Amino acid sequence: MSTIGAAGVELGRPDMIVSDGVDKWYGDFQALKGVSATIAEREVVVVLGPSGSGKSTWIRCINRLEVHQGGSISVDGIELTNDTRNIDKIRSEVGMVFQQFNLFPHLTVMDNITLAPRWVRKQPKADAENRAMELLERVGIPEQAAKFPGQLSGGQQQRVAIARSLAMEPRVMLFDEPTSALDPEMISEVLDVMKDLARGGMTMMVVTHEMGFAREVADRIVFMESGEIVEVGTPEHFFTNPTEDRTKLFLSQIL
Amino acid sequence: MTMTETPSSRIEVSAKPPFYRDVTIVKWLVQLAVLAAVIFVAWFLANEAGDNIRARGLTSGFEFLSQPAGFQVSDGIDDNPATGGRALWVGMVTTLRLAIAGILSATVLGIIVGLGRLSNNWVVNKVATVFVETLRNIPLLVQIFLYFTILSGLSRVALDTGPINGWLHVSNKGVAIPRIKIADGFYQWLVLMVIGAFIARFVFKNRVAEQERTGNDSFALPIAAAVLAAIGVIAWFIHPIIGFLEAPLWAISDVLDGIPQIAVQLGLVALFFLAAARFVKNFRDSRRTPAGMAALTDDDWFRQIFAFVAAAMASVFVLIIWPGLSDWIVNSSSDLFGVLADKFGTNPETGADRSGAPFAGERPDIVQRGNFPNYGDSGLQMSQAWAAIFFAVTFYTAAFIAEIIRGGILAVAKGQSEAAAALGLSRMQALRKVILPQAFRIVLPPIGNQYLNLTKNTSLAVAVGLADVVQVGGTINSQSGKALSVFVIWMAFYLACSLTISVIVNFFNVRMKIVER
Repeated sequence: MSTIGAAGVELGRPDMIVSDGVDKWYGDFQALKGVSATIAEREVVVVLGPSGSGKSTWIRCINRLEVHQGGSISVDGIELTNDTRNIDKIRSEVGMVFQQFNLFPHLTVMDNITLAPRWVRKQPKADAENRAMELLERVGIPEQAAKFPGQLSGGQQQRVAIARSLAMEPRVMLFDEPTSALDPEMISEVLDVMKDLARGGMTMMVVTHEMGFAREVADRIVFMESGEIVEVGTPEHFFTNPTEDRTKLFLSQIL
Repeated sequence: MTMTETPSSRIEVSAKPPFYRDVTIVKWLVQLAVLAAVIFVAWFLANEAGDNIRARGLTSGFEFLSQPAGFQVSDGIDDNPATGGRALWVGMVTTLRLAIAGILSATVLGIIVGLGRLSNNWVVNKVATVFVETLRNIPLLVQIFLYFTILSGLSRVALDTGPINGWLHVSNKGVAIPRIKIADGFYQWLVLMVIGAFIARFVFKNRVAEQERTGNDSFALPIAAAVLAAIGVIAWFIHPIIGFLEAPLWAISDVLDGIPQIAVQLGLVALFFLAAARFVKNFRDSRRTPAGMAALTDDDWFRQIFAFVAAAMASVFVLIIWPGLSDWIVNSSSDLFGVLADKFGTNPETGADRSGAPFAGERPDIVQRGNFPNYGDSGLQMSQAWAAIFFAVTFYTAAFIAEIIRGGILAVAKGQSEAAAALGLSRMQALRKVILPQAFRIVLPPIGNQYLNLTKNTSLAVAVGLADVVQVGGTINSQSGKALSVFVIWMAFYLACSLTISVIVNFFNVRMKIVER
């Protein structure tokens, strides 16, 4: 069983996400093999690994887009079980950004952002829209509020997707390869927004292939392969002095 | 290859080619030739047809519309139509009834079966799959015969039988059920309900604004529906106050009746040229950029000229070829307002009491007519033939609609429901706000096609002898020999049905369209 330690204790902060021995099968293929990790409040963790290593599956388990079959996951002390009340509670605390943005194409940017606050949080429309404008300013595209997603560039769409997640005031943000579907010149505008979020103290789990982002922003890097956590460490440790052979091989292939 | 132009090559480019090689001139000549050819072919065919018809002693007129029909119609709103026109109208109503009832029931059944095919429940899923795979793979005509045969095997009708005597009768004469009938007070009640619809709309908007202001669910739709229902009940009692509409409607009818034919003709001509001018103006506006007028191509010029040519042709038609059209328009609209006025006043001939209830209920009955018992006049009756075609087009089309619905929901990317779930929307909210609006947009055009197919497929009614518009037209044709006129009526009728459906579907389609780059 692979484990990363009780970070919260080391950092003197409470634990936010606790994943304990999480197993996940697709048919007879085991995608996650006892993945255990603890992520503290305001910590930024980047998950690296070759494709098919289970990193996306893992973070999708954390807000129950995938159902884990063994072990336990809890977020902010709430355990993820079959109880819909717990699932709803965790989803309202965890925001998620997808590789393919997944904006709602039939709604304007403004309606995309205000949909969940208005119908889940029951906020008045004017309040939700004011808050949405603040978020759009924060991600740098307030002038696009009235447009439809199809009229925006990929980078702009992903920034709207981030604003949409933030509108629910989540305590944790999960990023599932947020820049992989973007043209190269648009990657930095999305990474800048994410760096800004990290500096603001958001708890973040990021699956990415952006090594520069990992080195600059991550508090810790988790390296996964074949459904297991192979190595965990600070960026400095990870990039300059990895201990595991599999990590060294991975780094030699991508750097 | 040299980078500098030689003087000789420049001369070659700018030199004027002979006219038959000049792109602009050739294009114009082709356009004009095509237009002339179209006009000539139309004129030639019309002329030829006219000559042939005269030579064979056929008359292509529409006199049969107002002459006695001379035959009975087996099924429909009138067994014994007075004129050929009335008989055709009876057939049209039967076709329209089949089409409307078929569209409604095929849609409901198709949605249920389509959702069933997506169900995780094994039994529901398999039943829906068998329904779709069986019914869409059996030809419609075979299904019509099959249902007709099954219905023909039912027991003979007898007095005081059921299954539920006085409520539901099933026999070899078809099916009879209770029905709600439009009664004398209906039209006055309807006017009040139109006003009520506006009030309900106002209430709805008010409740939506309330939801936006507080964020809490304000039950806009149920409350608006309740308001409309309450107005319906109140209107039931107070609707005679609308009776004053009779006088102004008669007045309009009289004014229309007094309009001379030439005024209508000139009005139509003015309308055609106004439409052409409007088209040209809109067209030129669409070619205007902030930097000034965009250069117009030859095709652009031709369109503008053709708009006026078309207006001129239409004018010739109403002024010279068919001057009677204008008279017909005036008389029909005058009659229309007369009929409307009649709906609001007490008619001494029919003795209709317009202050009566807007609706009346009717239960089916079985009466002894001559030697054999048969269904009486009250209640809603479906003859065997009608039921066979109704069930056939409903099941057949529902199987296709089910597949369209299933495809539409599956086509909304999985990421959409994942994003909705990740934002904390419940499954119901995700369906209502995210999945269905997108699925509806995908399924609308193909479902519209199915509606068109269903409407046209009702013409297979001929196979089991139901008196729809095709069968009645066929009878008229064999009696009067006016095949051309009957074909014109058939085509115009089905075209009108199809265009109406297309316009309705398109209206929603445009409203649902997703804005893209």
